[in-house]
Amino acid sequence: MNILAALIRRELQEHKVGFIYAPFIVTCVLSLVIISVYFGLTDIQTAEFNFTTKIYENEQALEWMATADIRQITAVMRSGLVVLALPILLTIAFAILAFNLSTFADERKDRTLIFWRSLPVSDLTTVMSKILLVTLILPLIVLPNIILLHLISLLSASIFFATNDIVPFGWVWSAYSFTDWFRIIFSLWAQSLWSLPLTAWLMFAGAFAKRPIMGALVPIAVVVVLEGIVLKTNYIFTFIEDRLGFWTRASSFPKQSEELRVVDVSDIYLMISTQDFWIGMALSTFLIAGIVYFRSRNNDYSSE
Amino acid sequence: MEREFAVKAKGVIKSYDNSHALDGIDLEVRSGQVLGLIGPNGAGKSTFLQAVLGLLNTEGELEVLGLDPRKERHKLLQKVCSITDVAVLPKWMTVEQVLQYVDGVHPRFSLEKAKSILSKTDIKNHSKIKTLSRGLVVQLHLSIVMAIDAELLVLDEPTLGLDLVYRKEFYSQLIEDYYDGNKTILISTHQVEEIEGVLSDAIFMNQGRIVMKDSIDAINERFLELRPNQESLERARSLNPMHIRTELGREVFLFEGTEIDKLNGLGEVRPPFIADLFMAIMDKTKSEVQE
Repeated sequence: MNILAALIRRELQEHKVGFIYAPFIVTCVLSLVIISVYFGLTDIQTAEFNFTTKIYENEQALEWMATADIRQITAVMRSGLVVLALPILLTIAFAILAFNLSTFADERKDRTLIFWRSLPVSDLTTVMSKILLVTLILPLIVLPNIILLHLISLLSASIFFATNDIVPFGWVWSAYSFTDWFRIIFSLWAQSLWSLPLTAWLMFAGAFAKRPIMGALVPIAVVVVLEGIVLKTNYIFTFIEDRLGFWTRASSFPKQSEELRVVDVSDIYLMISTQDFWIGMALSTFLIAGIVYFRSRNNDYSSE
Repeated sequence: MEREFAVKAKGVIKSYDNSHALDGIDLEVRSGQVLGLIGPNGAGKSTFLQAVLGLLNTEGELEVLGLDPRKERHKLLQKVCSITDVAVLPKWMTVEQVLQYVDGVHPRFSLEKAKSILSKTDIKNHSKIKTLSRGLVVQLHLSIVMAIDAELLVLDEPTLGLDLVYRKEFYSQLIEDYYDGNKTILISTHQVEEIEGVLSDAIFMNQGRIVMKDSIDAINERFLELRPNQESLERARSLNPMHIRTELGREVFLFEGTEIDKLNGLGEVRPPFIADLFMAIMDKTKSEVQE
């Protein structure tokens, strides 16, 4: 356990910019935007997304706020908060993508691999520490940022509503479900498991290919094209496409996809019950074994 | 129970594309030996050390500290430390971070001891490794290794690229502060003259084979070097030296198994330097092959 903790701490120290600073900076920027909107300094209006206090000048909106029951308010609020958190999730997703591709390639390139392997840590433990970091630990690091964003949003809205005599200060807070924090973390963990085949594939490419990006893309492109030509199917492409998106929106997810919603923990059972999920897990296991194999063979050290 | 042999190798072979990097190595390294692996580039020194560390798959029998390095590498590395010329400490880490990391993963590492060793150097705990000179990085690596209670230390060209001061410091620190008579050390280096006083035993390697192995004491008894006086040149030559070389215009004779009494009086007699002995043995092997 101590070894795993030391390995994970090492990864966080090395990748603190992508894993810790970047999501926090995005959270701070988003918080500033939210505060600016509620204090009337700016507003955001695009074709897809409106974030402005001008809607509270609308009589209908005000009437809805006065009459809506708590479940309706909670539902609307959740949708808004999910959208607000998307930039944080995208930031960590990019950081994870870069990490997966580079983690085994970089240690080989800068030859630190020889130092890491001179210590009594098995290749399997090292590989599993990186998988655990991505699947289990990073969601835990992202969660406080999302919570902070939620709290700043709620506080700004409460102050805005109270000072403008729209609704009382506690109106927002009574509809906010604090148990959503658990839903979010379980949803993120489920996402990590759902996308594990991609994580493992990218790490595998970094472990075996001199150019990890090419190593990741070329074999997939070849297999997808071959499948299309020979079998006239696109199962592999759909498999990858599904893994890139949210798990609740995958084609194999046995529940009607909704645009924006906070998942129920019971949805995770639905995901686990799909064949696709277990195919992904089996593939991930196979790829992890491949990473361990290639890492253990990367001994290109010789002074002779 | 104390182990008699730290390393036992029998018929160890490593082949690459029909060439043998190791061509049937037979070797027994007793616990407590400080063994120097001496040989030219391509002799197989690093390959053998990699095999000892379990980094290479080899044919033949190889046992290190009673373990098979190929199958029990993880267990072995709890008892073995290594420094190689190419082992790079991660540049992004601070000294404190690398110490904390090793402390977290190595059951035999003493953080206090490492910090105490480092306190005697110019290396600061908060320094990033990328800001340290190559000499200081090697010193940091040695400090880490010295704080590990290992049974076997493998050093593969550890001081390559360092200036003379750091090289001297490295070996004096190694022997004075680390070696306690129980630890076994394997050293491969091109700077043979600098480790000569450190070694208890030496093996000479060439083209993947061991061409000679012995203790330094036995070598000093077996081989003698004579710088004959001008008038004793012919007499010295008649004693059948194994090798003759010229140094600053003066002939130097190397004798194997010749009694010192026979040489006394013919000139300056002393045990040869390891590097000179190695060159002589290489020349001898080469001429034997040509014949």
